[in-house]
Amino acid sequence: MAQREFDITIGPGGEVKLHIHGIKGKSCLEVVKLFEKVVGQVKSQQQTSEFYEPEEEVRFRIDQRQ
Amino acid sequence: MSAVCILTPVVVAAWPAFSAMVAAAATSLGYSVVAEGVDRINQNLQEKEVSKHRQIQLEIANSELVTGQLGRDQRICVTRGGVTVTFSRDARGRAKICVTGSRQTDEALRAFGEELSQRVVQQYVYQRVMDELRAHQFTVVEEEVEGDQSIRLKVRRWEN
Repeated sequence: MAQREFDITIGPGGEVKLHIHGIKGKSCLEVVKLFEKVVGQVKSQQQTSEFYEPEEEVRFRIDQRQ
Repeated sequence: MSAVCILTPVVVAAWPAFSAMVAAAATSLGYSVVAEGVDRINQNLQEKEVSKHRQIQLEIANSELVTGQLGRDQRICVTRGGVTVTFSRDARGRAKICVTGSRQTDEALRAFGEELSQRVVQQYVYQRVMDELRAHQFTVVEEEVEGDQSIRLKVRRWEN
């Protein structure tokens, strides 16, 4: 299981600062879009190196024994 | 950390929900609600009474209050220590704020109005965010109010 974690700071005037942890690639943008829908307009956005890492994949290896 | 994002709030609310938020925010700052839904006649009388008082007009940027045609003159009035703050909806649907007082300077009245309107917007955003987090099964693992009145939340969800 993967842990999704955010830090949200709602300023005294309602401005929201969102720190997104542990979400890579497009999934991260989906979270930003969700908050844009709930709060309002995106004023600034900065991606960190983790954003550019490939999204997690689950791989299965199947061995057939006779 | 994957991204850091700053969002500017947009307030879109129906009048009953907005007036409830104003009442809650005002109470948390020590104001008491003196009138709600005052009609045009009473409003004119009040304006005559406060004509000797200083008056500051403000508005909540990026706000849209939704109301029925019959509710055009809806307003809520709160008071604290001789300062009266009236929230209403203007013709364009924006939240308008009128701050009046006789002993305060214009700067002080503006500061009172901005403090209260900011608290209203913060409470609106907090409620919207909490509702959305619950809808998406996030758990709030930490919640703190900082010295500058910012609300800090740490939320988490486990996914397969």
